[in-house]
Amino acid sequence: MSESRPVVLIVEDEKQIRRFVRTALEEEGCRVFEAETCAAGLLEAGNHRPDLVMLDLGLPDGNGVDFIRDLRGWSDVPILVLSARSNEKDKIQALDAGADDYLTKPFGVGELQARARALLRRQNRSEAASPNVEFGDVKVDLSRRLVTRAGEPVHLTPIEYRLLCVLLANAGKVLTQRHLLREIWGPTSVESYHYLRVYVGHLRQKLEVDPTQPRHIQTETGVGYRFEQ
Amino acid sequence: MKHPDELLHHYAANLKDWQRYALTVVACAATALIATPLAGRLDLANIVMLFLLTVLLVAVTLGLRPALLAAFFSVALFDFFFVPPRFTFVVNDGQYLVTFAVMLVVAVITGRLAAGLRYRADESATEEQHARALSEMARELSGALTLVQVTEITRSFLHRLLKAKGDILLYDREGRARATADAGAPALIVEPRLATVAFEKGEPVRCPQIAVNGYASLYLPLKAPMRMRGVIAVAPEDNDPTALLSQMTRLETMASLVAIAIERIHYVDVAQRTQLQIVSERLRSSILSALSHDLRTPLTALVGLADSLAVSRPPLGESQRESAEAIREQAERLSGLVGNLLEMARLHAGDVTLHKEWQPIEEVIGSSIKLLGRALAEHPVKVALEKDLALVSFDAVLIERVFCNLLENAAKYSPPGSPIAIDVTTTGERMEIRVCDNGPGFSRADNPALFDMFARGEVESAKPGVGLGLAICRAIVEAHDGTISASNRPDGGACVTFSLPLGEPPLVEEETFPGQENTP
Repeated sequence: MSESRPVVLIVEDEKQIRRFVRTALEEEGCRVFEAETCAAGLLEAGNHRPDLVMLDLGLPDGNGVDFIRDLRGWSDVPILVLSARSNEKDKIQALDAGADDYLTKPFGVGELQARARALLRRQNRSEAASPNVEFGDVKVDLSRRLVTRAGEPVHLTPIEYRLLCVLLANAGKVLTQRHLLREIWGPTSVESYHYLRVYVGHLRQKLEVDPTQPRHIQTETGVGYRFEQ
Repeated sequence: MKHPDELLHHYAANLKDWQRYALTVVACAATALIATPLAGRLDLANIVMLFLLTVLLVAVTLGLRPALLAAFFSVALFDFFFVPPRFTFVVNDGQYLVTFAVMLVVAVITGRLAAGLRYRADESATEEQHARALSEMARELSGALTLVQVTEITRSFLHRLLKAKGDILLYDREGRARATADAGAPALIVEPRLATVAFEKGEPVRCPQIAVNGYASLYLPLKAPMRMRGVIAVAPEDNDPTALLSQMTRLETMASLVAIAIERIHYVDVAQRTQLQIVSERLRSSILSALSHDLRTPLTALVGLADSLAVSRPPLGESQRESAEAIREQAERLSGLVGNLLEMARLHAGDVTLHKEWQPIEEVIGSSIKLLGRALAEHPVKVALEKDLALVSFDAVLIERVFCNLLENAAKYSPPGSPIAIDVTTTGERMEIRVCDNGPGFSRADNPALFDMFARGEVESAKPGVGLGLAICRAIVEAHDGTISASNRPDGGACVTFSLPLGEPPLVEEETFPGQENTP
């Protein structure tokens, strides 16, 4: 296997959806494998060691969340969930089980490619870690704890800075509110969602061009937040 | 086996007054008849004894007044038939007058004593019977499953014990009389004002004067542990209210037993209804989510396939690419419509549980603008927020839906390129949010049907949509105790304003170490 093309596994029972997802991913230069059921999906994942798994939550032979738990037992491969948005609880469950991101059906090809790209980039970046992150006109130097916007230093409080670090470290990934609260305020405050919202608001005020229409620190309503570069 | 005396008494108890007196006369006459042949052989003193025995027996069996009659009648008979000269009331020997006097006194006293004893025995027997009837009623009530059964049990108790009729009147929490817990036709005429007085004061109301007209003359409140449940109206069957009044304690006990039974039935009912509601809600939500899945899957394929067609290689011709894009657009519109229909079904199906959390309103504004994405491509959205807006408590997913619907409408009805404005202000205890466009405005902004389902601003319109959007907005906003209204801007353009109650947001403490910032 000399190819360096990323391998993507699609686990989805609807043939036509598999078809266009495959086309879209192949256009991105991926090698694509398909599975129709949870059981087949786990087998394929073991055989091909994919760099990304796309998973439909409503599979005929079981719950997608169980699939994620099983897969997470032995693999860290990024998982992008395709969900027919009926309620937020399913998505949170999938994310808590270890999924990285989700796409709400119906979705366009462009959106799908962008999400896949972001997750594949995450997968690669772990090797070439850099202390410098740039987004928009903001530069973050993690080694010196320095944040600048258009060359001007930006003052962040300790909590704001920690929140920014967690978001940056998980770029492209949806972080549930619960997860963020636990990371930043510790396990005892997992119900004080309003704290999280207020601090996210502060970060947006300081780093976004238009805080009411954020480009980088995005809200996944009812679920959590996602950082996009 | 009953004691023979009991048996005798049992028969005697059912006699009418005149029958008692007749029996007394017969008994005394019989004594005289039996004693006549013995008159020669027995001493007169012994014959007196026979008469005294008769008086005693009459007293025991027939009661006080017949005993008094027997006493006087015995003295007369004794005088007439036995005291010489016989067969006249004339007395030769004056000492017989003493005999008469003693005989009369002894007869009256024994008669009185015996009758008193009898009366007390009767009393305690009735007492026992009533107590037994009450405990029996309590047992029956504890097994009653419906209000009709409770009414029947109460009626039969009143009838057996007091020869009275009764009806149960139920009141709701606000103190309004509900329909009687009826088992068939009402048994009596109820005076509603008296019943209400009894209910409101929580005390029995008596009005013996109206009993003669067949009205219920006694109203007992049904005081249950949780609240007053209603009133029992009681009327004597023979229109004589005195018997009822002598049994007040017992009637009040009965009322509290009935009240407890009614409350128990009420809570059993509530529990059952809740159970049923939970089951049907679960069913409904599983149907809706299955429906949502089944509708969205083909739409996803449609959007995705049309999309991949548009970017396929080698590139399509201009008109084919346009067709592919149009297919995608239509599929997306259909998807939005399906979403709205399902959302409305969910909201209409009954109580949607709100996942309210304290959060800034701008967050959900931002996320809905992003969610609409392409649909807003031709309309810049200008968001104007009041400074230092407080957190508001709302369900983010639902309010996002409100913004999406309002923005979508605004985009649909205003010319391409024109901006859409969102203004957020606070007035008193409410946060007011206005979404305004630069379109033609509502033809009648004060039309109250604007927010009804399937209502549209214009009767015939070239714009797509079935008018679910605003109805959904109203359902969601009202579920949040908010208000929603439409208006037109003075310079044209439609505005929809909705408000959310502000409440008291939780405190967010300031960070305690301002010195430890990220910059040196």
